[in-house]
Amino acid sequence: MIASVDLIEVVLALCLVTAALFCLFDRHLLRACSFFVAFTLCMALAWLTLAAPWLALMEGIIGALLTTPCFFYALGVFTPASEKLPSHDHFKEPLSRGVMRTLLALAWCLMVGAVVRFIFPAMVYSPTEHPLLLAGVVMVAAAMGAFAWHRHLVRRLLAFNVLGSGVFLLLAGLAGTDPQGQALITTALVVAWLGSLLGALVIRRLYRLEGENALLGSRGLKETRQ
Amino acid sequence: MNWRFGLTGSTFDPLMTSHWALAAALLLPLVFGALAAIFPPRRMWPVALACAVILTAGIFLLIDTRQAGVLRWQWEFSGIGVALRLNGVSMLLLLLTQWLGAAAALYTPGLLRISDPERFARWLWPLMGAVISALSLAWVATDLLTLYIALETMGLAAVAMLLLSGQADALLAGMRYLLLTLVGSLAYLLGVALILGYWGRLDLAGLAEVVEPGPVAWVAAALMGAGLALKAALFPLHAWLSPVHSSAWTPVSALHAGLVVKASLFVLLELWSILLFETFWAPRVIAWMGMLAVVWGGLIAWRAESLKTLVASSTVAQLGYLMVVFPLLLGPDISPLARALAWDGFWLQLMGHALAKAAMFMAAGNLILATGEKTLEGLAGTSRRLPLSLLVFGVASVTLMGLPPSAGFTAKWLLLQSMVISGQWWAVAALLVGTLLTAAYIFRFFRYSFMETAPRHRYQPLAPGMDVIALGLALAAFALGLLAHFPLDLLHGGSA
Amino acid sequence: MNAAWLPLTALAASLLAAVIIFSLPEEARRVRTSVNLTAAVIKISLVALMVKRITNGDEAVFSFQVVGNIDFVLRADALGVMFAGLSSVLWLCTTVYAIGYLEGTANRKRFFGFFSLCVASTLGIALAGNLFTFLIFYEMLTLSTYPLVVHSGTDKALNAGRIYLRYTLTAGVVLLFGVVLLYSLTGDHSFASERGLGDYLDDHRVLLTLIFALLVGGFAVKAAMVPLHGWLPRAMVAPAPVSALLHAVAVVKAGAFGILRIIYDLYGIELSVELGVTTALAVASCITIIYGSMRAIAQQELKPRLAFSTISQVSYVILGVSLFGPFGTIGALAHLLHQGLMKVTLFFCAGIYAEELGIHRIDEMDGAGKRMPLTSLAFTIGAFGMIGLPPVAGFITKWYLGIGAIQADMYWVVAVLVASSTLNAIYFLPIVHRLWFRVGPAHGHGHWPDEQRLGRLETHGWLLWPAVFTAAISLAAGLFAGLPFSPLDWATRVAVGEYLP
Repeated sequence: MIASVDLIEVVLALCLVTAALFCLFDRHLLRACSFFVAFTLCMALAWLTLAAPWLALMEGIIGALLTTPCFFYALGVFTPASEKLPSHDHFKEPLSRGVMRTLLALAWCLMVGAVVRFIFPAMVYSPTEHPLLLAGVVMVAAAMGAFAWHRHLVRRLLAFNVLGSGVFLLLAGLAGTDPQGQALITTALVVAWLGSLLGALVIRRLYRLEGENALLGSRGLKETRQ
Repeated sequence: MNWRFGLTGSTFDPLMTSHWALAAALLLPLVFGALAAIFPPRRMWPVALACAVILTAGIFLLIDTRQAGVLRWQWEFSGIGVALRLNGVSMLLLLLTQWLGAAAALYTPGLLRISDPERFARWLWPLMGAVISALSLAWVATDLLTLYIALETMGLAAVAMLLLSGQADALLAGMRYLLLTLVGSLAYLLGVALILGYWGRLDLAGLAEVVEPGPVAWVAAALMGAGLALKAALFPLHAWLSPVHSSAWTPVSALHAGLVVKASLFVLLELWSILLFETFWAPRVIAWMGMLAVVWGGLIAWRAESLKTLVASSTVAQLGYLMVVFPLLLGPDISPLARALAWDGFWLQLMGHALAKAAMFMAAGNLILATGEKTLEGLAGTSRRLPLSLLVFGVASVTLMGLPPSAGFTAKWLLLQSMVISGQWWAVAALLVGTLLTAAYIFRFFRYSFMETAPRHRYQPLAPGMDVIALGLALAAFALGLLAHFPLDLLHGGSA
Repeated sequence: MNAAWLPLTALAASLLAAVIIFSLPEEARRVRTSVNLTAAVIKISLVALMVKRITNGDEAVFSFQVVGNIDFVLRADALGVMFAGLSSVLWLCTTVYAIGYLEGTANRKRFFGFFSLCVASTLGIALAGNLFTFLIFYEMLTLSTYPLVVHSGTDKALNAGRIYLRYTLTAGVVLLFGVVLLYSLTGDHSFASERGLGDYLDDHRVLLTLIFALLVGGFAVKAAMVPLHGWLPRAMVAPAPVSALLHAVAVVKAGAFGILRIIYDLYGIELSVELGVTTALAVASCITIIYGSMRAIAQQELKPRLAFSTISQVSYVILGVSLFGPFGTIGALAHLLHQGLMKVTLFFCAGIYAEELGIHRIDEMDGAGKRMPLTSLAFTIGAFGMIGLPPVAGFITKWYLGIGAIQADMYWVVAVLVASSTLNAIYFLPIVHRLWFRVGPAHGHGHWPDEQRLGRLETHGWLLWPAVFTAAISLAAGLFAGLPFSPLDWATRVAVGEYLP
């Protein structure tokens, strides 16, 4: 019985990580967003395995039904073809900046690592027994990396959502899925959805006002205006 | 330290009126905001009516708090505890929020009437209501979950409010802020997870009893601190502040710079007073950052070309004053007298700055609205043509400079005294240099405004009351200097 | 019986005047003028009432708690009322003069509003009962004079304003630091308390000296002591009534008065001597006296010459303070009043010459005595007073200062006094000579730079009468110095209070 749970968890964890990586590093934006749907469904299953059906429901509703449409809206899927965002993000960060940002991201990961390290004996679900938590750590690291390397706003918003999910998994591992933990995660899910909604609205408006380059941050905006 | 935040100490059962007053204070802004989205008010009187109800609730709470010292509420819903408290500090901040919120709300109809009505204008009301409700909740909440909800609601509503004006630069800056604040809140969440996992509880009063210093407390404090510092625009995480404000609507700026950034700071102090009390390094690092903030913010404001950038950058410097006080409030080996002085000075500075900054944003908004010019040079010669707006700006800036008899001065006096007693000479230097830098950038603007050679513009007349509201706020900040006894009395009385 | 309302009402008279003036429209010239004059007259009568109460030995203290251990205190004591009297009398004169001077120019509402605020601040400084209150009004004075200095809005005025702020605000910060240090050491220390800071001498000698240096350093900027005087000559771009008020009573005197308060009412004269700070102060003031006079000689324009003369003259007050002994004190206090009266006369006259005849340079003044006899007579009285010729008031102070120096065994001070009087004569007598004995446009040779016919008399009456009035008082203060309530009599009363508690 235990072995079977483990096997399911291992498969789930692998699915989660794969979906997360595709979602983060695919330059085709529409495909990346589609992977996000798969990712949220995996997350919902993960909550089920961690014995939190309520969270699984919330993840399904908020993640798959509410957050993903925000991304598709931002990409302009529901609008006429002329207002669609370009399907690929071709931007490449200069190496020096990339290294600096990676270092910052690493610092953040180190802090997370320290958390896991210090709290190790007290964790409700130990990472050695629960590969899902390891998947959470990998997701956090990958999302931080993506955050550091990408400037396209849609991809950053995606990275934030993946990062959030990784943090929720860690939270569940640290604190367990008692009512208080579930309440925290539910709130965080709602916040993530609202943030994504707001972000999607801003992305649409920015694209309409200033065009493609504006989505690459303030330097992109300057390039557009020159 | 915890007794200062009303986490421990004797309690009384709140009266029936207190329950209703609390519910009104927390919920009515939201309700009225939603109503105003459906029926946008065109005149001042419906807004005034709504504000009056909320302010009355505040007065009721004030009376009860004065009698009881600390009011406390606790509920439990299926294993999730919610704890609220109302003591001197939170009462003071609640009142500040209500009055400042009322001023911003009263200012809005006039603004919307004379500036061309935007598509999104009606959304301003519910967002403003949400911000005020969330702020009120942040002051009174004493468990990490409620605090999290309050902070996130406030943060998201504030971003949305700042983005309403819809200029590309502001959108970009706002988007950056949004992403950063969301990541910041994840850091906060991890910190909470750590606390929940290790100590198994989220209520601050309980945590204050069980927390002992150690790596867990430090890491949790660092994670939460990083997240909150980002939201509070503490140096060096301030870069998003001035671009966001440069095109935001005036009442939004006033609320945001006056209160929203302060809420994160308040929560930061409250949490650290539990997790990091009497540690040496953490508050010290904040204080060093604060010194840099005072200098850097001052220099940025000094170089600023547009008036709004000047006002927004000065917020960075003014928050620096508050950061410099951290070692006095949290550090080890501080005498009780010095700590009490620093405590008083901290809140007085916070209140003075909130009022003065709101007044200043309104005055700046009035000047810009009336002239149509955003730059300092464009505003040359305003002393002759718009004396009242300029006077408001002047009165508010006296508080920011910390010159007597304003609240800024009395606060600075208390802080200086505390720093001298505990021998923190670097902090003294930061405060004094900050005064000079503030004067430098403020009078740079006044220099332009006194020019007589400037060309004459055609002026857009302001709606009645716009200047008067700003003047009221500025005078309140001014009068708080000599009448500081009353708020500080409440501050002490509530925590006794 | 305590009359708390008295100092408060006196302060409110000017403050309310400022508020009313700000709320009136720019065009309401008549109402503004009457508000101004009424407030000034009310204030003079209130100060007179204070004088009466003090002679009867009654108290007039207003105080309330600001925070914890700090009070806001207004107290009418003999020294304070002396300064308050000067401020209120000169406010009336200067207001009358300013109304005439600014006739028909722009921004008069702003000018008179800040003018009233400025005077309110000086009154607050005079009546402040502790250092905290003093600091409040001292900084208020800085802020309210800035708009007056930059009133004309020209580049030159704006630059002068910037330099003025640079000096005074830095000084304000230094002062604030000193005051906070002192409060941290001793707690709230009323000016009225009999005990000085002597209790702290044994343990905190260095700290006390440091605090003294910070406080006096902060005040010395406004008192324009060398080398902190740089703002004063530049601030000459302000309109003549502002210069007159700045030099005679408001800014410069506020600094000197601050030093008086520190030495007499805070540290106590014995402690100051014990710390050795008075000698340093005496040397600094002597340097200022000589330096100011030398620079005044080099000036070719009238107002800068008067400005440098102020730098030199105000330091007489500080010199008198730093001489240990009642005569030095009497000299210092009397000079505080006398110099104010005489200097305000001189600036009034300089303003009249500039307005009526367009005279700015000294070599344009030839024969102006024939064209404007009353103005020139007033100017001559002021100049003689400055030199210290009897029977004008200036003579009395120099005499007392000399006696004070001899009593304190500081004979070099007498040499400085003699040297300074000679220098004063060198830069004032040529002007007087030009006024009366040189042949100029009034005798048909050449013409005035820019002649206006402002009034039926030699100039506008609102300009002329204040100058004549203040000249008359300076003469009377010298002639009737022995009568009760003369400046000398009141100064003696204060000095006796200091030395014979």
